[in-house]
Formats: sequence, C-alpha cells, structure tokens
Amino acid sequence: MPAIRHASKRKAPPAGFSDIEDDLLIFSNKMKDAENAPTTNVPRHQVHWPIFQISHQRSRYVYELYYEKEAISKQLYEWLLKNGYADAMLIAKWKKTGYEKLCCLRCVQTKETNFNSTCICRVPKAQMKEDQNIECVSCGCRGCASSD
Amino acid sequence: MLKSTHKVTAPPPLPEGWTEHKAPAGHTYYYNASLQKSTYTRPAAPPTPAAPPPIDPTQSFLQYQAVGNSNPSAGPNFNNFSPQGQFPGGGGRGGFQGRGRGGHDRPPRPQPTDKPKSRHPIPECEPWVLVHTKLGRRFVYNTEKDQSYWRIPDKLKDGILALDQLRIKEKAEAWAKEKEPVDSGEAPGATVRPPVAAPEPAQGNGGEVEDSSEYEEVEVTDDEDEDGNPSKRQKTEEQDPDAPVEFNEDDIAFQLAAMGQEYGLEPGEYDDGNMEEWEEGAEGLEITHEDSAALFKDLLNDFGINPYSPWEKLIEEGKLVDDIRYTALNTMKLRKEVWEEWSREKIKVLRELRAKEERRDPRIPYLAFLQRQANPKLYWPEFKRKYRKETEMKDTALADKDREKFYRDHINRLKLPQSTLKSDLLNLLKDQPTSVLNNATLSSHLPPSILADIKYISIEPTARDALVETYISTLPPPPESIPEEETEEGIKERKERERRQKALEDRERHVAEEKRRQKRNLEFGKGRLREEEQEIARAMNVTKKGLKDHLMGEEGADKTA
Repeated sequence: MPAIRHASKRKAPPAGFSDIEDDLLIFSNKMKDAENAPTTNVPRHQVHWPIFQISHQRSRYVYELYYEKEAISKQLYEWLLKNGYADAMLIAKWKKTGYEKLCCLRCVQTKETNFNSTCICRVPKAQMKEDQNIECVSCGCRGCASSD
Repeated sequence: MLKSTHKVTAPPPLPEGWTEHKAPAGHTYYYNASLQKSTYTRPAAPPTPAAPPPIDPTQSFLQYQAVGNSNPSAGPNFNNFSPQGQFPGGGGRGGFQGRGRGGHDRPPRPQPTDKPKSRHPIPECEPWVLVHTKLGRRFVYNTEKDQSYWRIPDKLKDGILALDQLRIKEKAEAWAKEKEPVDSGEAPGATVRPPVAAPEPAQGNGGEVEDSSEYEEVEVTDDEDEDGNPSKRQKTEEQDPDAPVEFNEDDIAFQLAAMGQEYGLEPGEYDDGNMEEWEEGAEGLEITHEDSAALFKDLLNDFGINPYSPWEKLIEEGKLVDDIRYTALNTMKLRKEVWEEWSREKIKVLRELRAKEERRDPRIPYLAFLQRQANPKLYWPEFKRKYRKETEMKDTALADKDREKFYRDHINRLKLPQSTLKSDLLNLLKDQPTSVLNNATLSSHLPPSILADIKYISIEPTARDALVETYISTLPPPPESIPEEETEEGIKERKERERRQKALEDRERHVAEEKRRQKRNLEFGKGRLREEEQEIARAMNVTKKGLKDHLMGEEGADKTA
C-alpha cells in the first residue's frame, strides 16, 4: 500500500491513473476487509491466504495492463510499482518462462523447504495423481504451473 | 380393474343388549349397556369378514406370494407348488416377501392374500388343470410335472377357450334363471391387465409383447415371459402404482423420432436431442464465431464496461448475465478471450481519442468556479479552506500555486471599474482570429482561448454574454467549412451491428420454437398413449360382455326355435 502523505505534499500520479483508480480502490478495499477479517476459526497456516490472493490479483491486474494490454504508460506503471500497488519481484518472475503463473515468491523458495524443492503447487496437473486436489501451504494456491 | 370376489352382505343382527356405534375415528364398535363392555368385534357372530382391500393390478406380483400359501382345497400339492419356480415356497428369492425388492425399506402394506379357489381339469390336456384363485386370477398347473404358469402356454389355449365357453354358458344359464347379477370376480373373462402393459412396447421388448398379444384373450394375468425374467418384471411392476405411466427420456426420444418419421419432418424440425448432427442445414440463420464474438463485444459496449477493469470484477458484478447476447459465446474461456481482445481494442481507441481531442484546459473549470464562488471578502486561505471539497479545488492538473494566483488576480480585477473590464474583454475578443471566433460561433461554445482567460470572468455573466453576442454578430462568416467525414463508415458499422443482432434474435426465436414444438409433441404423444390405454380398457370390458351377450342371444334363439 502506498504511504499516505499530506495532500499538499502529494505529487499527482501520472496521466491515466484516473482510468484505473476505481479498480485499484476496489482491490484496496478488499485487502482491508481481508486484513480485518477475524481469524479465530481459521487454521494457523491459512491465515494469510486471502492476503496473498488479493496481492496476487492486484499485481496481475497491473502486469496485464502494462505488458499485455498496453493500457498504461511506463510512467504510470513505475509509479504504481513504487507506490506498492503491485509486487515488482513477482512481476519479474512472471516475465520468465516457466513462471508465467507463479502464485507467490514463497512457493519458489527452495531453500525454505526440507528437501530443497519447490512448493507442491508448482507441479503440473499432468504429473499429479488423478483427482488430487491440493492447496499449497504458503498461499493456498491450487496449482500455478505454466502448463496447466 | 380387479374386482373383489367378496359379496357385501348384511351383517347378522346383533344379539340383545348390544348396540352399534361409530367411533370418532370412523371405526364401528359395539357396546353392551348391561355388561358395560365395548368391543370392536361384532359380538355373538363371526367377526365381519374383512373385505380384501382393492388391489392395484400393477402390484400383481403379490399374487406369487398368495399362490404360495397353502390351501387344502386346491389339492395336496399346492403347498410346495410354485409357479415358475421363483416363489417363496421355493426359497429362491427372499425379495418377494414384501413389495418386491429388499432395497425398499417401506413398511409392508397389508396385503390381500390370494388363494387357489377352484380347479378345473382342462379338456384334452390331461395333466394340466386350470386353477382359479380367490381374487379371480388364474393359472395353469401341471399335476404330473408339478409346474405352474401364470402365462398360459399356447398348447393349452384351445382347451381353456373351450372351458371358458362352457363356464360362460353355465353362468349365463344361471343368470337367466336367477336374474341375479353375476359375480364378476367369478367370471373367467375378468381379465386383469395392468395399464402399464400398454405403453410398454415403446420400451423395446416389442418381440415378446407381439407374441403375447396373440393370445390376449386367454391371457388372464399380466403378460410375462415364459421363462421368467424376474428382475425385469420386478422393475416394471415396482413402479409407483399412483403414477400411471412413467416416461423416461428414451421413450420421449423414441416417440419423437417415430412421429418425426410419420410426419416426414426433417430432424431439424423437431429437437431430437443431438443438435450437433443437424445444426448445419436444419436451422435458419447461421451465427459464426466472429458474429458471436462481435455480439459479445456489442454487449460489453452497451453496458459501458470499463475496459480497464479486471475480468473478475465484471463477473462478480453479474450485470451481463441477463442479456441474451451473453449466451452468444458458450464457454467462459471464450468469453474471457473475447473480453481481452475487446478491452485491448477499446483501450487503444480511447487513447487515440484522447490524443486527438485537444487537452481540456484545467483552468477553464477553475475559472468558472472562481466566477461563481470568489468573494473579495475572503482571503485565499479562507477560500481554499471553505471550498477544499470541491472538485475544481482538488484537481491535480492545476497546481495549488496557480490556483492561488488566479484567485488573487480575479479578486483584484473585481475591484476595477466596469468600463475597464468591458474594454479588456472586447480587446480579448478582437484578438481572436476569424477561424476561431466568427458569426457562426455560439456564445455558449466559445473557444477555449477565451474561456481560459481571466478577463473573461471579470464581468457579471448576464452583462458579459450580451456583450459577447453583440460582438459575434458583427463578425464575418467563417473562412471555409470542413466537410463531414466518416459518415459512410459509421453507416456500414451500424448496418453490420444490426445484422448480427438480428441473427441472434433469429436463433433465440428458433430455440423457443423448438422448445414449444417438442413440448407439443410430448403432449400429443402422452394424449395418444392415454387414449390407447382407455381404448384397451374399453376393449377388455366389451369383449367379456360381448361374448356373454352373444352366447345368451344364441341360447335365446335356440329356445325360441
């Protein structure tokens, strides 16, 4: 989230921001709701799943606007990244082959796992057993292999 | 329907002291005032024989159980004698005990017990006897082989016919003598045919049914296959007796196909379920993939969807779903693809438009706002604070510094005399070239170069407008007019769009028509089946009576002769 500055010190966002302002506002409202949702009955490891999910969606939204639809200018894109509307590190991964749909950065951190492997959600559906449904521990991803 | 063999007779009179009463629940009970006793059973007389509840012929599998019951009058062998060897006496299938299958855990209903009542040797077929049951059904029994069949074998047909005629004659004589109504249960022709049997040929066991229809007359019980296909029979008979005929989709499809052939319809003219086969030629208007994609795009355009919004938002809002154009594409994946394409195009168009249109000067709305709200009594900080919520004050395109400058200038100019302000405005107007300002210019649509000038807002709007109008009327006409362009393209696009819309409507209409036709066909088929059933029922009634009447008539003729 962008740091909140006083209106007089705030620099106007680049042109084109007004087009996507409403949608970004929706995302930030969703994020606020997810942050404030009670977690009393949620299993410990699932507490952050909605946060990851919304963050992923918002990053994806910005990424698609810039790289796929070419709807926003480079200035605006950089401004968005700088102000925390999208995760630059995640988007950097999406640009690499094999990581086009990566759900979160934690799922490719091999050093954090016992056998130096990636998360289960990185395994293509074709290599899984029949009807095996998984939700990965770190972000609740159900599968983000590029071949899916 | 099967009629009970029980004759309702007046109950024997009650012994003295007993009186008959009706309980609130409907039972009759008997009370003896002297003994202070009450009972449900009729006192001093055998309890009123309970009439066997009327049984539904579709439940005719009950007869098997009944036949298994022993009855000494029917012969010594009846105990272990089991028609078709499938009955509880034989211990073959336990499932026959209740309502057929053990799978149904309904409580067992009170069942009428059917017992062999009388047996008649069949002439010329020695080991075989014809056994009548209490409920008026009958079967054949081979005393030597200890076999019995509900379905009467072909070779016994003649013998049984002869026997029937004999019995009818006897009956008729007796009837003629006593002038009493004949107990229909005793009548051998009281054929029991479940209504289910009529529609059954549609289900594909046509072969058996055909051959069974040959000896329909001698057939007393349901037509069942000789070798006994119990599972099948059970299934058909287990149907809920309340629902007269049950159709499944196969039946309907079969019927539709048959009717289609009958009327010489193309498969496209009725919906036979497999659309893919006749989609190409059978229907009227074609919708190509491009058309459906274009339709979906039209839909997106019409709903004013923001091309910058994410797809998920579009879906969550669910505004599009109600429109029929939403169905032009049939999978979500396709829709998303088309949406992506559309948003890309739309964004491009929007950007071009924005580039083309002259940048709207942010000063214009601010100055108009100043003219409305500015007050020499307010300093800039006060003014800013008072109107900080206004959009003109929040507009990021105009720097705060500029805003302050404009405000101060405007306030200072308001202090000047009116004549100076007027001459300033006229000078401003005179400076405009004729291409921008001429006598065709409307006073409400002045060029931005004028609107964005501080001189323009210094005078009261009413006085200013009059001044501007008089000045414009003195101006020469515009140098040359720019011809209108792009009309042809617009017309073409509109026409294309209308065509697509029409195609979709046509398709919708076709679908609705198909549905209607299918429904009608179904109704028609059902009606026909009902009619057939009734016809069969009528025919069954008539044959018996007709035969009787015929025989009686013959007798009468013999007597007179």
